[in-house]
Amino acid sequence: MIGALLCILLAADEPVRVVPPTAEQLRFFETNVRPVLVEHCQKCHGSKKQWAGLRLDSREELLRGGDSGAAIVPGEPNKSLLIRAVRHEDENLKMPKDDKLSDRQIADLVRWVEMGAPFPKVQKSNTRNRDPNHWAFQPPKEQRVPAVKNVAWPQSALDNFVLAKLEAAGVSPAEKADKRTLIRRVTFDLTGLPPMPVEIDAFLADDRADAFAHLVDRLLASPAYGERWGRHWLDVARYADSNGLDENIAHGNAWRYRDHVVAAFNSDQPFDRFIVEQLAGDLLPAESEAQRHTQLIATGFLSIGPKVLAEVDPSKMQMDIVDEQLDSIGRVFLGLTLGCARCHDHKFDPIETADYYGLAGILKSTRTMDTYTKVAKWHENELPSATLTAMRTEYEAQLAAKKKAVEDFVAQADKQVREKLGAEKPPEKVETLYPDATKAELTKLREALATLEKNPPNYPAAMGVAEDKVIDLAIHVRGNPLKLGEVVPRRTPPVLRGPQPPSLAANESGRRQLAEWLTDPQHPLTSRVLVNRVWRWHFGRGLVRTTENFGLLGEAPSHPELLDWLARRFVADGWSLKSLHRLILNSSVYQQSSSASAEVVARDPDNRLFGRVNVRRLEAEEVRDSLLAVSGQLDGTFGGTLLKVKNRDYLFDHTSIDKTDYTSRRRSLYLPVIRNNVFDLFQLLDFPDPAVPNGDRAMTTVAPQALMMLNSDFVMQSADELAARLLAEPGDDDHRLSRMHVLAYGREVSAEERQKHLAFLVKVEQSVTVTEPDADKRRRQAWSVLCHVILAANEFVYVR
Amino acid sequence: MFQLPISRRHALKRSAAGFGSLALASLLSETTSASNGIDPLAVRPPHHVARAKRIIFLFMSGGPSQVDTFDPKPLLDRHDGKPLPFDKPRVQFNSTGNLLKSPWRFRQHGDSGLWVSELFPHLAQRVDDLCMIHSMHGTNAAHGGAVMKVHTGSDNFIRPSIGSWVSYGLGTENGNLPAFVTICPTLAFGGINNWSSAFLPADYQGTAIGDASVPSERAKVRYIRNSRLSREVQQLQLERLSQLNREHQSRTGPEASLEARINSFELAFRMQSELPKVEDLSGESKATQHLYGLDDPVTANFGRMCLMARRFAESGVRFIQVTHNDNKVQWDQHADLKNGHEKNAREVDLPIAGLLADLKARGMLDDTLIWWGGEFGRTPTAEGGNNGRDHNPDGFTMWLAGGGVKGGLRYGSSDDYGYFAAENKVHIHDLHATMLHLLGLDHERLTHRHAGRDFRLTDVEGNVVHELFA
Repeated sequence: MIGALLCILLAADEPVRVVPPTAEQLRFFETNVRPVLVEHCQKCHGSKKQWAGLRLDSREELLRGGDSGAAIVPGEPNKSLLIRAVRHEDENLKMPKDDKLSDRQIADLVRWVEMGAPFPKVQKSNTRNRDPNHWAFQPPKEQRVPAVKNVAWPQSALDNFVLAKLEAAGVSPAEKADKRTLIRRVTFDLTGLPPMPVEIDAFLADDRADAFAHLVDRLLASPAYGERWGRHWLDVARYADSNGLDENIAHGNAWRYRDHVVAAFNSDQPFDRFIVEQLAGDLLPAESEAQRHTQLIATGFLSIGPKVLAEVDPSKMQMDIVDEQLDSIGRVFLGLTLGCARCHDHKFDPIETADYYGLAGILKSTRTMDTYTKVAKWHENELPSATLTAMRTEYEAQLAAKKKAVEDFVAQADKQVREKLGAEKPPEKVETLYPDATKAELTKLREALATLEKNPPNYPAAMGVAEDKVIDLAIHVRGNPLKLGEVVPRRTPPVLRGPQPPSLAANESGRRQLAEWLTDPQHPLTSRVLVNRVWRWHFGRGLVRTTENFGLLGEAPSHPELLDWLARRFVADGWSLKSLHRLILNSSVYQQSSSASAEVVARDPDNRLFGRVNVRRLEAEEVRDSLLAVSGQLDGTFGGTLLKVKNRDYLFDHTSIDKTDYTSRRRSLYLPVIRNNVFDLFQLLDFPDPAVPNGDRAMTTVAPQALMMLNSDFVMQSADELAARLLAEPGDDDHRLSRMHVLAYGREVSAEERQKHLAFLVKVEQSVTVTEPDADKRRRQAWSVLCHVILAANEFVYVR
Repeated sequence: MFQLPISRRHALKRSAAGFGSLALASLLSETTSASNGIDPLAVRPPHHVARAKRIIFLFMSGGPSQVDTFDPKPLLDRHDGKPLPFDKPRVQFNSTGNLLKSPWRFRQHGDSGLWVSELFPHLAQRVDDLCMIHSMHGTNAAHGGAVMKVHTGSDNFIRPSIGSWVSYGLGTENGNLPAFVTICPTLAFGGINNWSSAFLPADYQGTAIGDASVPSERAKVRYIRNSRLSREVQQLQLERLSQLNREHQSRTGPEASLEARINSFELAFRMQSELPKVEDLSGESKATQHLYGLDDPVTANFGRMCLMARRFAESGVRFIQVTHNDNKVQWDQHADLKNGHEKNAREVDLPIAGLLADLKARGMLDDTLIWWGGEFGRTPTAEGGNNGRDHNPDGFTMWLAGGGVKGGLRYGSSDDYGYFAAENKVHIHDLHATMLHLLGLDHERLTHRHAGRDFRLTDVEGNVVHELFA
């Protein structure tokens, strides 16, 4: 059928030519034409580059042409753009630009076009690319739970999917992990914090068969769950408290979005609703003021991306911002790189430029910015409330009073001047005749008014969007806003099958319909992309490892059936994340040990089959939060902002002076995320670049991390605090060492370790004798140095 | 996802530095067996024969004016105060008025007869080593975008810095030091993204030595010193730490990431003794210190950076950046061009000439590529009534020296007034491609797969300018 279609297209393009080229014509082409095309044209218009969308390496491409239309009209050299270009007839179309072809070469090209442009047939290459039947573009299929031999192993259907593949590969799953390992693993996993000694004791003492399920329930109910899992979402949402890019100014209200995400995770808001609010919360009805606020705040998702705020070309800035939003929506919800299609059809996925501009129109019809002149201002939605009204009334009253003070003063002063002048006619500007003292006082009053006008109160507001003038966008040829092609009605990409494409009215942007389309139960990508990320965050690797790319260049899923089963189950369970966590955590797969036999490791070195649990290093926030928690310093205050810089003020400017402050002892989630200058402890420990959606943090091990662990004041202070905490414990040093191990590692100290620790304490005390005469201080120092070792050790920063 | 099951065995072997009282050799034999032995910073062969081994980038933050430094324009002098006789670019940063002639005189220097204005009397003595590119052009008229473009090849996406790409392509010759350092960089206009590895592995991240808000005398790598523990206590600590880690590993079984972390502490400890040695200039002779202007308060700050750069180059660091920036945007003379450029030139002229002379005397100029320039140039037209010039990405001058380029060459040209690059235009992408080529790297083959596609420094652009090569 595709073949037939191609014929029709060719026939329509080219009614003249039906006779195949003769051998003589082909010889002429090969000797006189192809070399010219190869040498002078194809570097920019060939398989590697297609400047202006033009390729000159096949007859089809020549006929299809580029941005300016067909390159040749067979038989008609004077109507062929290629010929006009090589003749340098037209000021704007001279090719090759610098070295004009010789007259002989031009004559050959003309003759070749006159012949009807004979060109040998070429094989179409790489049919896999742009495949509309790619698995990820079809709705998830219903899956039968596979049968397994080891029927005792599975605790849930999920286990069957994993075990079936393990059995097929002849690999046995790992043993079940012990209870100490499990509580440390799941507590970090769900809350980002180490288990406290009492929690460990309680779990060890709980001999119910479903003790682990109870533990999971307790952790899911803890507010720390939202602080940990909300942060996962913030990675994906490219959350930051500053703009970054060129003008690094404060997102003074971004924290409201962060707190909203934490609350939504804690309350287990159905995720389809969560998504709709992210994209269109401002358009949804609300039953209460609080709900209205939440929905406005949720649209911060569209606004918190990085923007080139000093871009001097406003039309480019506008499309750059739309592009950033669109690319984020693509990666975050669809697992697709839509950004490519801004300038050309996607090279690998069947996403066309027209699809891009169909979606871009929705965002262009959305108000994200209030101004586009440098430094541009992003839009914020005020959060209407009695407080806001009161603030405004108060401010307006102050303003009115100050204005009146100026007016009254002027009236009074004028009167005095007039009285002085008597019958004399006053000049146009009476002010010029004021006595100096009066002038000075008036200046003061005016300055006070100006200051107040320039500094309105910080009304409660949220970064977010609103509707704008609704518009369908024209294709920007090669992404160039000055070169417009055909207008594309706002729409969703038709290649994604399942949900009905929404119909968009002329008086609304279409964001709500886009969001509803994304969360349609039949949508092929949204639920798959999401459950895959949840799997990644639990296991360290996704079923699809490229968490933000489900397209043709993404990796194929290791367990496609499981992915579909989970996606459908998630939707059927009302898009409940907490249900999904329970499903995954209460499985045998999750509860395996991280140790596997050498044979298993050899068969599946990469652990693609999930026949053991991956050892993982704690993430940046977990490292810092654990240091604070274990040393007893953690401040558990919930929500709010720690940013010390006013909204829209510079965090970093040309002075390079650092205006950030990370001295707080609150959870890392609440530390400001400053683009371009991320907190160095975070930077070192693989915190993701907050300018780009990222559901799959890297995990690197480099020497500067070790330098930080060895030499930073923060780590040493934590060691001091832990030492002080231990020394304050009643009991002997044996007890202290035991306590130290339980706090830091969640396990008892061994007899051998105890002995070595004690010997170490003695050695350190000895070596500081020279500098420290006070025995008590020496003891404190030695304990601090030991605690420092404990906190820097692998066992502290790795979870098994 | 990038994994790093890395052994530093190669790095350790390459290093001659000992490891104090720690029984390193036995430690190594025990811990490296489980690893697959890939060192991300091991020296890698180039794609083709390299002409340069390393780059020193002298970044003139703010945008020095081409028509006042190296690209004289007689017509600009003649038509001072008259309107520019052709259209200005469609988008400009600020609006400018009529032509403004240069307040400085130009003279030809050396055997090559290259033109240098009186702003750079010392550099003028070394013109026969300089390869002038007068036809540079970029894409962005604002500092932020333009600075990021120069450093990363992109002005609106976060991409790896050129120094990261170079380290990624070639590795480093000294495993005890970072492969890429940047001395006193500005924290504005992209900040750390100008030396970050973005999606390349963190091993290729640049290491900042101070920042533009501190004088170079106080510029240090973070966490390189311990503020309270003696070396003796730290050694005890490391010894106990590796015992604990080994015991932990014997319980958990072979695991590359655990082993990599053990090695990273050893490397950190060696870096801690090595880096301060390179940063310490006190061992340099009086004559050398004088050569870089360390004995003059005007030149001392930048001179110290240049001398540090030479020491890093000697120690095998692959990419070294030195930023001339004060707590304003140094070369950004929208107003008062005369005083601003004079102050700036006085601070850098002698140290740069000193660096060139010193490298040459040590035989290092042949394989060290020096790259001088700002994020853009300046307009030949005056901004307001300010006697200043606006940003100009459409035509400006950068120069290279050493590292396989032709000294005394004048390549490309700008138009008669120095506004637009005219002949043999060289885009930032072209310059990136050319510099990678000099290092033996093909910019089209130096790629990294990320988010489903291959990325490179030059995106889909870049042509190597072979005419610059010696």
